[in-house]
Amino acid sequence: MSAAGRAGSLRTTRRGFLHLAGASVAFAGLANLRALPVAADAATDGRFFSAADGQRFSRIAERMVASDDLRAPAWGETRALDAVDALCARLDPELTAPLPTLLRLVEWSPFLFELRLARFSSLDAAGRDAHLRGWMQSRFRWRRQAFLALRNLALLGYYSQEQTWAAIGYRGPLLGGAGSAA
Amino acid sequence: MIVSLLARGGDLVERADVCVIGSGAGGAVVAAELAAAGRDVVVLEQGGHWTRAHMTQREDQMLPRLFEEAGLRQTVDGAVTLLQGRCVGGSTVHNLCYAFRTPDPILAMWSREHGLPGLTPEALRPSFERVERQLKVKPIREDEVNAWNRLLRAGTERLGWSGFVTRHNREGCVRAGYCILGCSYGAKQSMLETYVPRADRAGARIYADARAERIEAEGGRVRRVLGHAVDATGAARGSLEVQARAVVLAAGAVASPDLLLRSGLEGSSGHTGRNLHLHPAVMALGLFEQEIHAYRGIPQSWYVDEFIDLARDPHAGYVLMPIAGFPVMTATQLPGFGRDHAALMRSYARSGGVLVLLHDRSGGSVEPGDSLGRPRIHYALEAEDGRQLAQGLVRCAEVLFAAGAREVVVPYLDDPLRLAPGDDLGAIEARGVRAGEIPIASTHPQSTCRMGGDPRRSVVGPFGEHHQVRGLFVADMSVFPTSLGAPPQITTAALADRTARHLLARWGELAADA
Repeated sequence: MSAAGRAGSLRTTRRGFLHLAGASVAFAGLANLRALPVAADAATDGRFFSAADGQRFSRIAERMVASDDLRAPAWGETRALDAVDALCARLDPELTAPLPTLLRLVEWSPFLFELRLARFSSLDAAGRDAHLRGWMQSRFRWRRQAFLALRNLALLGYYSQEQTWAAIGYRGPLLGGAGSAA
Repeated sequence: MIVSLLARGGDLVERADVCVIGSGAGGAVVAAELAAAGRDVVVLEQGGHWTRAHMTQREDQMLPRLFEEAGLRQTVDGAVTLLQGRCVGGSTVHNLCYAFRTPDPILAMWSREHGLPGLTPEALRPSFERVERQLKVKPIREDEVNAWNRLLRAGTERLGWSGFVTRHNREGCVRAGYCILGCSYGAKQSMLETYVPRADRAGARIYADARAERIEAEGGRVRRVLGHAVDATGAARGSLEVQARAVVLAAGAVASPDLLLRSGLEGSSGHTGRNLHLHPAVMALGLFEQEIHAYRGIPQSWYVDEFIDLARDPHAGYVLMPIAGFPVMTATQLPGFGRDHAALMRSYARSGGVLVLLHDRSGGSVEPGDSLGRPRIHYALEAEDGRQLAQGLVRCAEVLFAAGAREVVVPYLDDPLRLAPGDDLGAIEARGVRAGEIPIASTHPQSTCRMGGDPRRSVVGPFGEHHQVRGLFVADMSVFPTSLGAPPQITTAALADRTARHLLARWGELAADA
């Protein structure tokens, strides 16, 4: 995609992001991580995620939205990461600042929490799922909250993509083209 | 004149008779009534000005436009998500149009327990009637009840429970169903379509993207409002100052006490920012054999009031309401991840939710946070309220099965409960409802600047004027003395109408005192 096209697309999604009507514990958990050292590599082009953080997030998100349904696109086949990036870029920086640290923590958590000589991204799909389940069911509230923050971001990005709607039977907006933006 | 302070650029210095902070169900009414009576009015709205032409029916675009913190606002412990409006028109732009007058037993209780003998149904009737006329409130017709509400109604009637089709503020509704993302058709009679244009026509100067950050008083008399133009991230741009003879604070039950506390105008009662009630809500999801497409049509028209009897106990009870979400909203409400979650999402078109909305006794508080626009919100769900919510979830399951659901999902976060017809619903009460274990949402924060006759127990007096600062009024849900126990839109607007009329009646005195 051309830079101009990419910028235009980003402009559209940057207006938006997503939500969570009633959704659960999203960024609150991140707040608990503020004391951890942040060593984020810098994002570029006005994006929230650096390239490395985007990859780390995608490794997590693709398991969050994994499906047996062949009609459901994989995470990487959508622009979901752009949607999450756009959302994070437009939120209060205080709210999102801990996110890069959390991504690193998840990446190294097999070693940190299970003393395994492995990184999250080196695990196979079943291993990643088992590891994420450990976060979801942790006895520590901050880990459960952090899991929900990442899960909900992934869901927000994924289910805002038109390609995902057919698999769940959502017929889409009634106005103009589904992607129309005022 | 409605203008974005960001787009206008530069600094703003204004003089006005009245500065209104917030443009939702309270602020828009006050602004319109005062401007129509000839007062020079300036309105400051922190959010943007999004018209029906901007309402795209897409979650990714509308949630950040219309909601505080893009819908991510939460209590400090992360247990409750608060959905509050952040745009011209406030929460009326995204609400689902229930139009209830204040229940008579609630007014009687406020009179009896909070020193408000003037708040009778008779005294408020003119305000109710004016507001309902402006908002074109009328009953939903039977043919306007959508498939999901009809199913829920059938279930309710099979169980012999009390319920009814409600009144709404709609005109020419096309039943698209996207009300929560803002009405693209101008049919929802929100403040954006009613009082805001009325205020505009009457000469009010309405500034969007304009955040009030401090109210200043001198000698016990309000003087001016200071703040900045803000962008979507909350970053401050040009400064603003509005000198006014009166200030009406109508920024909602989170922002209003936050602003009073930041301004050092909390008064002596110790109640500013306290007594937060949320009408906390939990949901159960019914999965059906047939497609329902619950998101199409008027989202909420049926209302189950079997489990609330305010005449018997004005402090307790809960109601059940249908609810349907768009894909993102639904996905984030469902438990689990990966294949299990995706399997639930495949039932999206065949599912419908029922909310338990609690008339809560639990209390919370609001205090200034580290950054402007993000107050710290505390709320402790008391054990009895948790039991009530759990009982409500049992009732949700009962009515969902009575409506024909083949499965009911109670979305406990770490281990959802999936129930089939005939299963023991006691499993829900055994699990209970505790903060952090199940999604809890609130769209009705209230009572943080409560109204009352006794300055030692309340923040504002019977007409919304601050007990200690002359010329400073509060006109939003924060003035409710207790949890309302009913959808709050009409109560908020009617009390604001009453405050506006009181302010006008006292104008000569206020102007002379300025």
